[in-house]
Amino acid sequence: MLAAVPGPSISTALATGGVSATDLWLSRGGREILRGARLEVPRACVTALIAPSGAGKSTLLRCVTRLLDPDRGTITVGGQDVQTIPPRELRRRVGLVAQRATMFPGTVGDNVAYALEGVGPAHDRVRQAIEAAGLVGDWASRAADELSGGEQARVAIARALVRDPEVLLLDEPTAALDHETGELVGATLRRLAEDGIGICLAIHDLPFARRFADRAVHLDGSDATEAGRDEAPAA
Amino acid sequence: MSAQAWTQVAAAFAFAALASGLAWRLKLGLGSGIALAAVRATVQLAVVGLVIAVIYEHPPLAVAFVAAMLLTAALTSGGRLHAVHGSRIWAAVAIGLPALSATGLLLAVGAFEATPQAAIPTAGILIGGAMAATTLTGRRLIEALHDEQDAIEARLSLGDDVRSAVAPLVRRAVTTGLVPAIDQTRSVGLVSLPGTFVGLILGGATPETAARVQLVVLLALLAVELLAGLLIALTIVRRVTEPGAERINPPALG
Ligand SMILES: Nc1ncnc2c1ncn2[C@@H]1O[C@H](COP(=O)(O)OP(=O)(O)OP(=O)(O)O)[C@@H](O)[C@H]1O
Ligand SMILES: [Mg+2]
Repeated sequence: MLAAVPGPSISTALATGGVSATDLWLSRGGREILRGARLEVPRACVTALIAPSGAGKSTLLRCVTRLLDPDRGTITVGGQDVQTIPPRELRRRVGLVAQRATMFPGTVGDNVAYALEGVGPAHDRVRQAIEAAGLVGDWASRAADELSGGEQARVAIARALVRDPEVLLLDEPTAALDHETGELVGATLRRLAEDGIGICLAIHDLPFARRFADRAVHLDGSDATEAGRDEAPAA
Repeated sequence: MSAQAWTQVAAAFAFAALASGLAWRLKLGLGSGIALAAVRATVQLAVVGLVIAVIYEHPPLAVAFVAAMLLTAALTSGGRLHAVHGSRIWAAVAIGLPALSATGLLLAVGAFEATPQAAIPTAGILIGGAMAATTLTGRRLIEALHDEQDAIEARLSLGDDVRSAVAPLVRRAVTTGLVPAIDQTRSVGLVSLPGTFVGLILGGATPETAARVQLVVLLALLAVELLAGLLIALTIVRRVTEPGAERINPPALG
């Protein structure tokens, strides 16, 4: 898919409201974590962010929703500097599914309904989000903290999906999933992209990226489509 | 000093010598520690006795004495919370505000007489309780803020403001901080006779008076410790919140 379906151009992305991060620098504890990192996440398109472990993928994604601020560099969402968007609005527009899923107390339904005002755990929207995240069947009433790691990862995706974000950032979404569930989630992400959401996957799994992403990029913004050999993950 | 007074001191030292000697014989490595603690206690209590005697002569000095107690409590508790910038000052507020207000209230309504004899022990007990609650709540919250960053960021990512994102942690920390006070109140008279009661009885008060005063102190402690825990928790949350950014800078543990 990477080669066959080129994503929309960057200028289209900015016009229609994707994420654009340019020249991000960030150091913590005397270590430079981001050195001129770039990222474009156009809408209606799946972008894979490919970089080795420890390269700063999670850090970059956390900068986009302002869980961190870079020391230098600019990030825009729909052309608007994230520094000028109130954080809670920014996080409504840009969903982030963290690398380590954390469940809130209660059921899967409670978890997915967590951020929705006036919507109960049995609501249709909640059920649809749970299903779209690859949990097909009677999951809403299961206790969230009793689920397996892979199941929790999908609940975390459902929790973000249900908020109808413009852009969805997923940090290693397939790390805890088996092949079959990964395919299910991948198909969901493709469908979301076709509905117009911008999807970004920070990911080690290059074959997965090849199947489901429209574009693959490195942390410096360069094309990773041809990088199968030297960027295949060690882990 | 009376004969009884000498007997008291002699008995106290006999017990200290017994414990110290036993520890030495059993090679517990505690012999000198016990002796030192006994000497320290002797000196500290003698000095406090003298100071309070002076205060009884000059009641306005009670204010300075209470201020010294509060300062010590704030330094002790604040030192345990040093991961948060300015912790000693905030500990002083969290301890002093509820403890001194409650003392003032009890004296103002006439529950206790407005004399150094009543004010100093009352303030001392309430400050001590508030100090324990401040330390316990604060440490528990700092640890939770540090350990549960993933959960906090998950809530923030779903649109929570910082206050809601840390609310479960605050609730747990305040609850933890209040547990000793609740247990002490629940078990009073069954597991132990608290200091106020024992002191009043030994000092010659009727059991009825001792029980009544003890009840006032215990129930005031509950309120004071809850307020102290809440104050330090809200302060810590504010200190680690980045204004305008809706995120926290988790405190370093140490
Ligand atoms: N708060 C911090 N203080 C100091 N160093 C940090 C901090 N957070 C992250 N790092 C370091 O920054 C580097 C990048 O971390 P990050 O989690 O962004 O990498 P990553 O590309 O997501 O890795 P992985 O693929 O293993 O998830 C790592 O070396 C990490 O140790
Ligand atoms: Mg990562």
